[in-house]
Amino acid sequence: MVHYQKLFERLGLSDWCGATDADAPMSMAQLMARAKGGGSVSEDGVPFPSLDVLHQACPAIGQTRDVTAGIEGGFLAIRGQLKFVLDPITQPLSWMLEGALAAVDVVPWWLMIPLLVALAWAVSRSRGTTAFVAAVILVFAVVDHYQPAMQTLAIVFVCTGISVILGVPVGILMSKSDTTQRMAIPVLDLLQTLPTFVYLIPLIFLFSVTEPKLYGIAIILYAIVPVIRLTDLGVRLVPEDVVEAADAFGMSGWQKLTRVELPLALPNIMAGVNQTIMMSLAMVVIASLVSAPGLGVLVLRGIRNLELGVGIVAGLGIVLLAVILDRVSKAALARVGRRRDDRSGP
Amino acid sequence: MKKLLIAGALALSTATPGAAADCGEVSISEMDWASSIIVTHVSKFLMEQGYGCDVTVVPTTTEPAITSLAETGEPDIVTELWVAYTPVFYELKDQGKVVELADVLVDGGIEGWWIPAYLAKKRPELTTIEGIMADPEAVGGRFHDCPQGWGCDLTNLSNLQASGLLEAGIERFQHGSGETLAAAIAAAYENEEPWFGYYWAPTSVLGAYEMVPVDMGPHDPDAHECNTSGECPNPKMSSYPVATVLTTVTTTFADREPQIAELMRNVQFTNAQMQGLLSWQEANGASAEETAVQFLTTHQDVWSGWISSEARGKLSALLN
Repeated sequence: MVHYQKLFERLGLSDWCGATDADAPMSMAQLMARAKGGGSVSEDGVPFPSLDVLHQACPAIGQTRDVTAGIEGGFLAIRGQLKFVLDPITQPLSWMLEGALAAVDVVPWWLMIPLLVALAWAVSRSRGTTAFVAAVILVFAVVDHYQPAMQTLAIVFVCTGISVILGVPVGILMSKSDTTQRMAIPVLDLLQTLPTFVYLIPLIFLFSVTEPKLYGIAIILYAIVPVIRLTDLGVRLVPEDVVEAADAFGMSGWQKLTRVELPLALPNIMAGVNQTIMMSLAMVVIASLVSAPGLGVLVLRGIRNLELGVGIVAGLGIVLLAVILDRVSKAALARVGRRRDDRSGP
Repeated sequence: MKKLLIAGALALSTATPGAAADCGEVSISEMDWASSIIVTHVSKFLMEQGYGCDVTVVPTTTEPAITSLAETGEPDIVTELWVAYTPVFYELKDQGKVVELADVLVDGGIEGWWIPAYLAKKRPELTTIEGIMADPEAVGGRFHDCPQGWGCDLTNLSNLQASGLLEAGIERFQHGSGETLAAAIAAAYENEEPWFGYYWAPTSVLGAYEMVPVDMGPHDPDAHECNTSGECPNPKMSSYPVATVLTTVTTTFADREPQIAELMRNVQFTNAQMQGLLSWQEANGASAEETAVQFLTTHQDVWSGWISSEARGKLSALLN
């Protein structure tokens, strides 16, 4: 006896339900019941009226697999339009990633290493940090991981840059309106928890799988969240009296934002940037599953071939990259904080 | 005393109805691709219902399975093991740790280079290397290669070099994972775009999307071995050999459960059967478990030959 069949009969829905289709795939439980000699599944209690259970009683009700098939069909039906909109918008990302990867390929090491060290000095102004950066890059070079490390670094730079360019304005918008904030927070939660491949594989149907933007999108969607959240927080934390003073001076909204709020929020924004860098590095291995070059590829090769050493060295390489990026951005953050303290001092 | 033990064993076996006295706990691997899941579920059903075993399914994939087998002797049964890419297996076999039971895919696995059927229909000459060389753009100008770390990675590279396709203007694109490789085929099929690359059968991807093999010439064992080594100075074109796909058990398990070992020796699928099941699964949107059920309910003639007469008695409700 199928559960809930009586219910549909009582409601007079039998005609609507139609006949049970006999060729529906049989489940393992049904087969086991048949093997035991009985005709139907053993009746231990009433099952939850899920779509599959109701489908057995009333074929007009779709099964759960019809729902998932419907979603798939819907996506495939609108993919032309989606492609038309998304492809041009995201194309610059591909160009930037291709450009950055080509740049680290072309620039020779004796130019690249001093450049990076100089960059570390310019940002951090800390001798210790700069020396540490130089040492780490040399370690990469010595163990022949220079090229993949630079590729990973290039990808992280591009993705962090775009995350900041997009994330800071979104954060400011959120801080200005409680409604925007209420709407944005669930989206941000979603971005941080949705398994990457769930949206990456559908993206392959829209763009060519060879496009670097596939992994660019994956990294940015995941890494953009902290910079948005902390920009929002930073602007909201600007003291009320400072804003009032700015109003009293007759500042326009734009002046207030650029001269008062953003400078005061800068330490928080920088903390967000630091987190964004860390999160893009966390995505490096996943990005390599969609053909991103760099250290992630070596980690995957290590896992797949049980070349434990290769995996561990590349994995530690990612950690080292994370540490230098973290130290440099923290040093920059400290510098911003110091400067502000100097200015607000007596 | 001995009598008492036998009596006890009898009492136990009657206390748990359906459980045969001589089958205990069995662990069986479930690789992360469709055909393997079907094999595992068919075997699980037969072991549980026919022999009264207590079966644990261990989800895994080739490398972890073989490592676990080597280091811990678990799982008891590893099925759909593509041994060409796990040379460790033969070491384990020589050490006497594992026993090779059967070719679970009788015809062997087929690896090779493929183009979509719609493309082959429109341009039949593209099923040969020469045809592709003459017009690389017709296949999209790109070879979809397997991810780094897969065995086929090096073999394909050598063959591409040997065939001269790279000079002809074919760009080798290495995927990051098997998922994107499969998605690339599906996406090309949805848009009816050209596609050219490596894949293998029987798989649900080739079950769902009809692909035509590109003629890679004859198989040359020496050239192939050199191609797979990764240090081949003068690669020579060679097609893939038919891949051996095994069911293996640990030696201790074969001694402990000879009946189950005998069963697993018989569990064999032809490529036609497996490809048919995979197509059915794709067409019906069924789960692998339901596909196993489909096999068990429609191919009684096949699996009734696999099991012992005692098990046939237990499963008579399905056989008649």
